[in-house]
Amino acid sequence: MTIKAKFFAHFRDLFGGRTRDLTVAGGASAGDALEALCDTPERRAEVFSGGELKPHIVVMLNGVPIQSLKGLSTPLAPGDTLAVFPILGGG
Amino acid sequence: MPDFPISGYHGRVLVADLTRGEVRTVPLDPDTALSYLGGRGLATRLLYDTIEPACDPLGPDNAFVIASSPLVGSGAPTAGRGHMVFKSPLTGVIGTSNSGGTWGAAFKSAGYDALVVTGASASPVTIDITPERAEILPADHLWGRTIHETNDALAAASEPGRPARVLCIGPAGENLVRFAAVANDRNRVYGRCGPGAVWGAKKLKAVRVRGREKIAVADPEKYKSGLDQAIYLMKQAPVTKRLMRDLGTAGLVELINLIAMLPHKNFQDCLHRDEDVERISGETLAKTVLEKAGSCYLCPIGCQRHTRVAGRDGGEERGEGPEYETMVLMGPLCGIYDMAAITRANYRANELGLDTMSFGGTLACAMELAERGLIGREEAGGLDLAFGSADALEALVVMTARREGLGAALAEGSFRLAAGRGRPECAMTVKKLEIPAYDPRASLTQALGYMTSPTGACHLRGGYAVSLAFFGGAREIPRFSLLQSPIAIRNMQNVGILQDSLGVCRFTGYAFSADPWARMASGVTGRDFSVARLEEIENRVATLERQFNVEAGVTADDDSLPARFADVPIIVEGKERRVTREDQDRMKRDYYAVRGWDASGRPAPELLRSLRIEESRR
Repeated sequence: MTIKAKFFAHFRDLFGGRTRDLTVAGGASAGDALEALCDTPERRAEVFSGGELKPHIVVMLNGVPIQSLKGLSTPLAPGDTLAVFPILGGG
Repeated sequence: MPDFPISGYHGRVLVADLTRGEVRTVPLDPDTALSYLGGRGLATRLLYDTIEPACDPLGPDNAFVIASSPLVGSGAPTAGRGHMVFKSPLTGVIGTSNSGGTWGAAFKSAGYDALVVTGASASPVTIDITPERAEILPADHLWGRTIHETNDALAAASEPGRPARVLCIGPAGENLVRFAAVANDRNRVYGRCGPGAVWGAKKLKAVRVRGREKIAVADPEKYKSGLDQAIYLMKQAPVTKRLMRDLGTAGLVELINLIAMLPHKNFQDCLHRDEDVERISGETLAKTVLEKAGSCYLCPIGCQRHTRVAGRDGGEERGEGPEYETMVLMGPLCGIYDMAAITRANYRANELGLDTMSFGGTLACAMELAERGLIGREEAGGLDLAFGSADALEALVVMTARREGLGAALAEGSFRLAAGRGRPECAMTVKKLEIPAYDPRASLTQALGYMTSPTGACHLRGGYAVSLAFFGGAREIPRFSLLQSPIAIRNMQNVGILQDSLGVCRFTGYAFSADPWARMASGVTGRDFSVARLEEIENRVATLERQFNVEAGVTADDDSLPARFADVPIIVEGKERRVTREDQDRMKRDYYAVRGWDASGRPAPELLRSLRIEESRR
């Protein structure tokens, strides 16, 4: 199935663009999609620490942080949007 | 004056009576310092002891107070902010306004802990403060000049090692625009609640400060342990280490859109085209108008945006910003996605001394009224007032500051504008303060923050719930929890009170919370400013602000959102969301209970006693 990944802040440079369409197996999880996106050592090092997400990484599925769902095990559906970015702040 | 018994303070408050043209120094009461700390806490107490909350905010009986804190002058990160408290001419309730820049630290080095200004002068004046003398000087030659011109003229008195720092108003304040601002360092603004109009009514053009007075640190080892911890944590946290410097606050634009919270057309909905949002994003700002980042005094974060943009008539203009709030409230809230126009209008607001947030909210309201046929093209002097009109944005920011044409109506703020046309429901305000750039239907916690902020709808005084919507892990709470919102927002409000009372920046909160501040404050003063004592102070200040507001006439009905947010849903994560009246009432009631106030939102006498909030000494 196809999902869409969206990147923000310096992750646009890191992942080579604002968005990327990704083909994953049926039943794939958010973690599977992230593994597929982190297809270079640099990308992997920025996002993962061992098998876990680094603490400053935010991943949202259709606008909901995956921590509120099932974390990296959150199942994906066709057409989902996965947003990946570092924690930002503002006023 | 004998030595003040608590390190970190000078023990001196400067009181200027502009009616009598006199300044005098009064001692700071040590118990007041220990109970209210500094900054917002101390200034609120001094204001409460000086004015009647029912006074006319543009009359001589109003006052404003700016207070420093024991950390200012110690070298703590970001510790140089100023906090100003006054009765607001826009809202009629307590007004507080905060800014970075260098004035706050310079004021402390001039040898005072607080400045209280009462009365009104018959002709324009400045107040000039050095440790050797403080005086009121005539300023007719400065009246009418912009913030930048005034700053540059007065800063010329700088000496080596004793730079002169200037806090001043521009034409908007002089013209009593209800949301006029006060600025230091040209572009660092005390923006909200209309302090500029209070200064303008007093005919006070500027306050200039310089000095070299130092503070003592009572327990250097304890202070340093807090300082080291703070610096370490700021270097670890991605927001403070790098992200703010890269993108500034405008880095939030795309993310707030992602969670369906980005306002549009006077809060009619939150629907934007992705390609439009990109035009006003922090990423685009960095690639197009940004020249360099910048920092306030002692700040390693560097979120300032120093920018340049093409002028309307060719040529190039330079200035600072836009920040997130400006980009959105003078942007998509008005249907505008033209960054160059927003940036130029921001520059005008900075020069003329206007709050960009309330201006954007008021313009959006005017655009909706025009959409409904209640403001005609003739009244707008031929300007196209449709949503999306960048021409209206750039023209009206100047006309509003000068109270020219339609600008005179906008200068009264969105509530009075809409009520004057028989449509108060078109003003998106709480307590007449324009709502910030986060749609409350997308977060019940933020909605409650707007309802209960002491100053009216504010994300800085009301509690910043937006990061709670983003961050996974321990800090996150669900966005739509009636149960958790009251305690969560009370906690965020208290964090803000602490930061405002210490003279430090909100953004340090992305790296750490109270523990390093407790060590630094206890270390500087040699007194108990533990986390527990700081919480007691936070609660004391919050309740004193409420007490002031109750005396100014605030009731539980005022702690409510405009009807649109209850009646018109937005779509969040595929569901319709609104903030029903029942939910507002329930959260409000629970919040009052959490604060210890009665069911009508009033602090009971027993609470005032237990918090040791004394009666006013006015």
